Amino acid sequence: MIDSTRREFLVQSAGALTVMALVPQLSRAAEKLTGPVNVAIIGAGRQGRAIIGELQKLEGVKIAAICDTLQSRLDASLRRVQGAEGFTDHKALLDKAKDATAIIIATPTHLHRQIAVDCLAAGRHVYCEAPLAHTVDDARAIAQAASKAGSQIVFQCGLEGRSNPVYKLARSFFRSDAVRDVVGMQAQSFQKTSWRFPAPEGMKDADANWRLNPDVSLGLAGEMGIHQFDVVNWYTDATPTSVTGIGSIRLHNDGRSLADTISLLVKYDNGAVLTYDASLANSYGGRFEVLRGTNAAVKLAWTHGWMFKEADAPTQGWEVYANRQQFHNDEGITLIADATKLASQGKLKEGVGLPQPPLYYAMADFVASVANAKPSACDAAAGFRSTVMAVAAAQAVAKGETVKIDPAMLKLGGA
Amino acid sequence: MPQTFALHAMGTRFELVIAGDNPSVRAIGEEALREIARWHDLLGLFERHTELARINREAHEGPVRTDRQVLELLLLCRAVWEQSDGAFDPAIGGAMHRLGFHPGPQGQVSPTNASLADVLIDAAACTVRFARPGIRLDLGAVAKGWAIDQAAAVLREHGVRCALLHGGTSSIAALAAPPGEPGWLIAISGESHTQHTVVLCDSAMGVSAPRGRVAAAGGHIIDPRSGAPSAAACTAAVTGPSAALCDAWSTALAVLGRRPSTMPASYASAIEHSPDRWSIQGAPPSHFSRLPRETAA
Repeated sequence: MIDSTRREFLVQSAGALTVMALVPQLSRAAEKLTGPVNVAIIGAGRQGRAIIGELQKLEGVKIAAICDTLQSRLDASLRRVQGAEGFTDHKALLDKAKDATAIIIATPTHLHRQIAVDCLAAGRHVYCEAPLAHTVDDARAIAQAASKAGSQIVFQCGLEGRSNPVYKLARSFFRSDAVRDVVGMQAQSFQKTSWRFPAPEGMKDADANWRLNPDVSLGLAGEMGIHQFDVVNWYTDATPTSVTGIGSIRLHNDGRSLADTISLLVKYDNGAVLTYDASLANSYGGRFEVLRGTNAAVKLAWTHGWMFKEADAPTQGWEVYANRQQFHNDEGITLIADATKLASQGKLKEGVGLPQPPLYYAMADFVASVANAKPSACDAAAGFRSTVMAVAAAQAVAKGETVKIDPAMLKLGGA
Repeated sequence: MPQTFALHAMGTRFELVIAGDNPSVRAIGEEALREIARWHDLLGLFERHTELARINREAHEGPVRTDRQVLELLLLCRAVWEQSDGAFDPAIGGAMHRLGFHPGPQGQVSPTNASLADVLIDAAACTVRFARPGIRLDLGAVAKGWAIDQAAAVLREHGVRCALLHGGTSSIAALAAPPGEPGWLIAISGESHTQHTVVLCDSAMGVSAPRGRVAAAGGHIIDPRSGAPSAAACTAAVTGPSAALCDAWSTALAVLGRRPSTMPASYASAIEHSPDRWSIQGAPPSHFSRLPRETAA
């Protein structure tokens, strides 16, 4: 048995070479920007406020403007950000805050289309929260506008898994011999909450609770599931062909029609299947994705990730030095985002868990793409594909049936 | 009918009671608890992605830009640290680790005389910097109260008039009083054979007591000035407008075993020097009523 100190020592010496060879170097800090980036945020609700918090951590980023239709919410956000200009209309922001070259859209999903199209037409870089829209038509309009804006304009869809260092690391394993051929995928998002939000003064209750309105909301499948569907899409490069759904109200029988508990079965063109469950009535297990391969399974839980090896999988040199965690009868190898650097500092044990919230990395990627001409972490085509899948999943739940996904629908130019 | 809500956060259980049972009350209660969960994510010491963990990790390398509200909390801590002459000191993290209260590897060795004087706060630039390596902030003595204050603000913002919110029963905020009552009746559990109670109405309370985990060197309450278990350690309860200040001051009083003259007059205190010997200051003695233990609420 190797004690932990000796393990870390070995990783720092001979073992480090194999870790280095297998683990991509993922920096703990955000990428340095070649120049300052002036950002505007449209939508100062819950997500907008979280975005402001992460942007304030990034060097070289100035929050130049904030826009919200509700004056009280706008004022509250402006108090948090020194020197930002406030607007209650996004067109006025585009007209007057010319220095805000990068715009983050964090409004309710069904309001994305007009704002995103206007921002792109005004030549601004755009980060649009996911799903892109609540309909395929709106999502296509946004994605086509991004495409038309040209390669000089950055468009990033807010599917955060693609920026998450743990997810990037796990994907490198998933696409190697370590995991091998895809067996199947499962994901869940469980929480205990009504999903109702109190309306701030001056806002109608229906506007504050748009998530519960089936006319404009994709429900759990769209608002929660899309981030997890996208992980599967990004990892496997497979194309979803159909989604079967079922949903019911298990707890929140408060007049709503959208299900508070759903199950989905998504079929892919490579024969693999994703099973998905989400609920607002029980929180056990929280939110995670499991991708099974013939050699190992990868479990991803946004700030943490693990790999569970099959006994007959080939041993890789670095494994004996890895951190492990026991889950009942299974032992998971902890996936550490910046293992090489931490090992060199003798801090491998401190590396379990992401050093920043997942949203931070999505923001860091966006501003780095704007400043450093780096490709978007999640471009319009990728955002569109996952949004189409979310729309299909929401339809499947609403109807309790199978919805076919025509491959042509997933293409930007499709009908 | 009142609605009740609960949340596991900050290593304890928060509970909230609000009068009324319509869906909007549920939405408001959940929003208040989400605010506590948000502060859990900002101030957690043991998870890597929290704001406090980031400050502890990076502030010895240079100024760390942080959230304005986190900075406000640090400024509040600095005020109590100054007024309590160091008896309340969130730079106690290194000592807590040394004494076995904190799990995990030590990381950089913390100086034995670490204090909040080593934490340089630039309010204009919204940054925090540590003057020396090894400084480790632990906001555990104030985080619950701070989160409760923020959650109570959410309740008030949405028009809730009557509610009770507590974290681990040691940090409490009371909004108004239950119908027909002068306030919320709260019991303070000390070592005494009798129990003190306090009636809270639009007020908060924080309690520190020498109970719970024991340091390897013995003792439950650490004196930040010596970095060792406090010799004076006693139960202290503080009531006043802010739950965060009640928490911070109850910690200071539990370390000091007395109330310093610098403590704000708007805060009342009860200190248990020995079983059945309490000193009550900053309020009439009737503010903290004494009840036989078996009849206390």
